[in-house]
Amino acid sequence: MAGLIQKILFLEILKGLALTLKKMLFARPVTIQYPEKDRLIPAPGFRGRHALVRDENTGDTICVACLRCVKVCPSLCINVEYEVDKEVGKRKVTKYEIDVLRCVFCGYCEEVCPVNALVLTEFYDYGGTTREDLFFDKEKLLKNWDEFIVTQKRPYLNPFWKPRGVPDKLLPARKRQFTGV
Amino acid sequence: MSPLIEVTKKDVVSETWEEPFYLNMGPQHPSTHGVLRIVLHLEGETIVDCDPIVGYLHRGVEKLGENLNYNQAIILSDRLDYIASVANNTAFALAFEKIFNLKVPRRAQLLRTIVCEMARICNHLLWLATHALDIGAMTVFLYCFRDREWLLNVFEKICGARLTHSYVRVGGVRLDFTSEIIDELYKFTEEFPNRILDYETLIDVNRIWLKRTKGIAVVSAEEAINLGLTGPCLRGSGVPYDVRKFRPYDAYEEVSFIVPTGKNGDTYDRYRVRMEELRQANSIIRQCLDKLPETEGQPVVADNAPDLLIPEKRKSAVALPHPKKGYFFKAKEEDVVPPGEAFASIESPKGELAVYVVSDGSNKPWRLRIRTPSFVHISAIPDLTRGHLIADLVAIIGTLDVVLGDSDR
Repeated sequence: MAGLIQKILFLEILKGLALTLKKMLFARPVTIQYPEKDRLIPAPGFRGRHALVRDENTGDTICVACLRCVKVCPSLCINVEYEVDKEVGKRKVTKYEIDVLRCVFCGYCEEVCPVNALVLTEFYDYGGTTREDLFFDKEKLLKNWDEFIVTQKRPYLNPFWKPRGVPDKLLPARKRQFTGV
Repeated sequence: MSPLIEVTKKDVVSETWEEPFYLNMGPQHPSTHGVLRIVLHLEGETIVDCDPIVGYLHRGVEKLGENLNYNQAIILSDRLDYIASVANNTAFALAFEKIFNLKVPRRAQLLRTIVCEMARICNHLLWLATHALDIGAMTVFLYCFRDREWLLNVFEKICGARLTHSYVRVGGVRLDFTSEIIDELYKFTEEFPNRILDYETLIDVNRIWLKRTKGIAVVSAEEAINLGLTGPCLRGSGVPYDVRKFRPYDAYEEVSFIVPTGKNGDTYDRYRVRMEELRQANSIIRQCLDKLPETEGQPVVADNAPDLLIPEKRKSAVALPHPKKGYFFKAKEEDVVPPGEAFASIESPKGELAVYVVSDGSNKPWRLRIRTPSFVHISAIPDLTRGHLIADLVAIIGTLDVVLGDSDR
């Protein structure tokens, strides 16, 4: 009997309509007007555009050309060339290229970097019309860092540089005491 | 079924047109959830037979994985079932941990359980949204995506990505939760049951929904087992098979939950099972969150876990007696992992996801085999659709919850 009344009076459909009406009148809209009005602020540690950290003293990258990022990259998008400075016995990066169109944004490169030279910044809305726009060489990567760091609080520490909860034993020596740049 | 291109002649004697009618559905059809192509053999609007054709999204994940090391292979698993990537990550990591003989810390187990259940909620919300949209209910689609967005924002805080998480690594997880994330998840678990009630108000007793789902694609329990269905599709037929109960992994032993089952095995029952699973997943997240403070400060990666960059050979020093005095040390190359094989299966949101891996001692899997639920479910489409209308085929593809990235690998 109750089922019959429900069927004749469209009760279940009215209930649904009442719900949508209630949502329409009283619920706050969740849609945002991107990009005209609202900007999205990604969470800290968002894996976005790549950047090479600029050393404030020398104005160059702090990369030591250990090639760990090149080896760990699953999509083989990092290309590094270096030369050995005979006097000091240290490696110096001459070429650091990232092909963003190949990158899968796993963030392994910034996690294995022993000196925290590479970072996936929280900058996300970059696009290009040509392949060259999305092929970052060393200058471009350093420029990305400059653009990114002015928007951040100093000292800046990316969560993947020193992953929360990972025991010190598994981290390289320089990462253990690292507090940010 | 008969060959696809069949040259038949019009029977000149007979008055009726005898040629069978073939229709291609897909691979760009919006309701085939990707690039599934189905060749339909029609009689009027009724489906006599159909032949699903997969492989348009084949990327060779298994072969690719054999050329990457164990931690890098987990990245590939994101791209299988891209709606619940964490579940895939966990399946890979569980298989690899068996090879590495690792014991995952308890905190990492709890975190994995939480993210797996979050992935389940994400997946079921997207399933409900698209399934309802295919059948014709637009509002549910909007509400589901609103709530999925909430969880994706939490995922973004957890691991920095919204879709391809790659959060789990061999031996644990990559990052610990912050207190902010835990608060946000508590808020979500408080609020989410009310949201489920909203969806149910809209479609649970709606007469259009009932007509489109009741009695469509009925699978008996025996038939479902023979077809190889797993997950909610099997439980909708009344078989209470759940990997989380039968072979518990991670922290599923500690939490209490019930395995919802259906009775009739039709599309409506599978829908009910998934709605119950949403509630159970919500309660599992809650129980795990309550247990997290006990493990505060514990590491999230096992101490002897391999680095992300696994070397090809491990070198250890062997002391040999020096002919004159003392010792000299010689580097001895050792296998990074013991050779052997491992199998791990998890209850992914879509069904049973299994990974079989063979190791030859190097840092790369020698053979990687993935059993994905979507592939098996697609193979069940012909048996489920016979005798139904074309409009029901859309509901059947929806109810099986297939993702073509998962199927084609």
